[in-house]
Amino acid sequence: MSDIILESLNIRKGFGGVVALDNLTFLIARNAITAIIGPNGAGKTTLLNVVSGMHAPDRGTIFLNQKTISGLKPHEITRCGLARTFQTAQIFGNMTVLENVMVGRHVRTRAGILSSALRLPRMRREEPVTGERARFYLEMVGLQDIADKPAASIPIGSQRLLEIARALATEPEILLLDEPAAGLNTQETRQLGTLIRTIQEMGITVVIVEHDMELVMDISDEIIVLNYGKRIAEGKPVEIQTNQEVIDVYLGKEE
Amino acid sequence: MNPVSDIMKLNRHIATLIFAVVIFLLPLFIKNPYYLSILVFIGIYSITTMGLNLLMGYTGQISLGHAAFFGIGAYTSGILTVYYHVPIIVAFIAALVLTALVAYLIGVPSLRLKGHYLAMATLAFGEIVNIFLNAAVDLTGGPSGFGEIPRIQIGSLVLDSDMKYYYFVWIVFIIIFILINNLINSRVGRALRSIHGSELAATAMGVNAAQLKVQVFILSALVASVSGSLYVHFVTFISPTTCNIMFSILLVMMVVVGGMANIWGCILGAALLTILPEYLRVFEDYDVIVYGFILLFIIMFLPGGLSQGFAMAYSTIRRGRSKA
Repeated sequence: MSDIILESLNIRKGFGGVVALDNLTFLIARNAITAIIGPNGAGKTTLLNVVSGMHAPDRGTIFLNQKTISGLKPHEITRCGLARTFQTAQIFGNMTVLENVMVGRHVRTRAGILSSALRLPRMRREEPVTGERARFYLEMVGLQDIADKPAASIPIGSQRLLEIARALATEPEILLLDEPAAGLNTQETRQLGTLIRTIQEMGITVVIVEHDMELVMDISDEIIVLNYGKRIAEGKPVEIQTNQEVIDVYLGKEE
Repeated sequence: MNPVSDIMKLNRHIATLIFAVVIFLLPLFIKNPYYLSILVFIGIYSITTMGLNLLMGYTGQISLGHAAFFGIGAYTSGILTVYYHVPIIVAFIAALVLTALVAYLIGVPSLRLKGHYLAMATLAFGEIVNIFLNAAVDLTGGPSGFGEIPRIQIGSLVLDSDMKYYYFVWIVFIIIFILINNLINSRVGRALRSIHGSELAATAMGVNAAQLKVQVFILSALVASVSGSLYVHFVTFISPTTCNIMFSILLVMMVVVGGMANIWGCILGAALLTILPEYLRVFEDYDVIVYGFILLFIIMFLPGGLSQGFAMAYSTIRRGRSKA
């Protein structure tokens, strides 16, 4: 297997007159934690949306394991082994915490309308496994005690963890996290860092868009810095911290 | 497996069984034949509502045109048996095929729409079907409809009494109930509810929301068509007013009053809105106003519908008992 899991080639995405992603090319190393940072409006979330199929790119190609995924629908990309979370937590508030994670198993199970309605063997085989796997991922993020609560009733910190558990349940090779630390306190953020490391140890590649620099510098193997839809720097955390262009972008240029 | 979900699963089957027994015994306590016919109508409307609830309550997609599918079922069954002397079972299947086809053609474009726009599209569809039923006089009998639709015959058994039809309708109800109850407690059911919760996240979980929405739209249309066929062979007469826009809205009300995303709600909603107008006749000219206030009261104080009310009452009683 190649060392590169995700590759983007000359991706462009514009919204009306605004160019959100401008001929962006980057590589994501397999089983690394890569952070994508940049000031507001740099195109970070657009990048995740384009990679996960929520937006189609205007130009360019994205490869996942050397297979073209740009142009596929989101559910097809998930099937290829890419999962994501959202900047504003998108939990299924009308379902229990456990059921939320069980939805994550959708892509790894097959029972259709007929076999579900008639409780055919396929459905009865799959169902217990779905429950077990969902509980496994809930335990991993530490939400096992609130498994049967309505998801709408849990605090924002737990919602973020729930989204991660749900994304893990799709059994991805690569997981995209969109500002997972937003709304978390210091202690929760530290736990999140530990969790992301655990995810990496499971053999999953992690791409994280995050504003919390302490977290980013702490967990990232690689950092990509975006500004106005362009990649302006790339490297290890120490390299990024001392990169003059990055400092200028974040702090403003000295005259 | 965890014990709690096992108990809940067991409860689901036991509840269905208890309900089936109640339905089976109920006619023994009913002396007034008029009440029996009301129960037949409740059964028919419960079936329609159950299908609509799958679409509205579980998947979160509104349809203000479901009366049209009820009408397609009723008219296809009626026309084929009366004018073409087709066996009832064949007419019934033909109605299902036609409904599936129409639901597919309507569902694919309109389910790309969301919220109010979907409501408008389905409303317009319902109106088109109703206008067609009024205008195609040669085929449908026009505004005055047509009658002498035969009773259902199974082998040598003709369902010629309300009692026989009662059992037939409620057996059909229980079969559909079991199938839908299985469906909502499955991978597909979770996918449907996830679309309701967040369509964006559902697709990110690998749910093909666009396809699933069309499938569930067709499914709920088929259930409406079945109930339409059941209706027409019971009443033995059909006209366009039976399946006009008011009926579509009544069906939506039955879902909401019964309780969205609660399979038992469909029976409660259908029962209340079928029985209520009968009892409100004592108010004579003011019955509509009283009816409106009762609905308003339910929506305001029980946003989860009657099924939520029952659940709340049940847990209050249980809490009271455990305290004592």
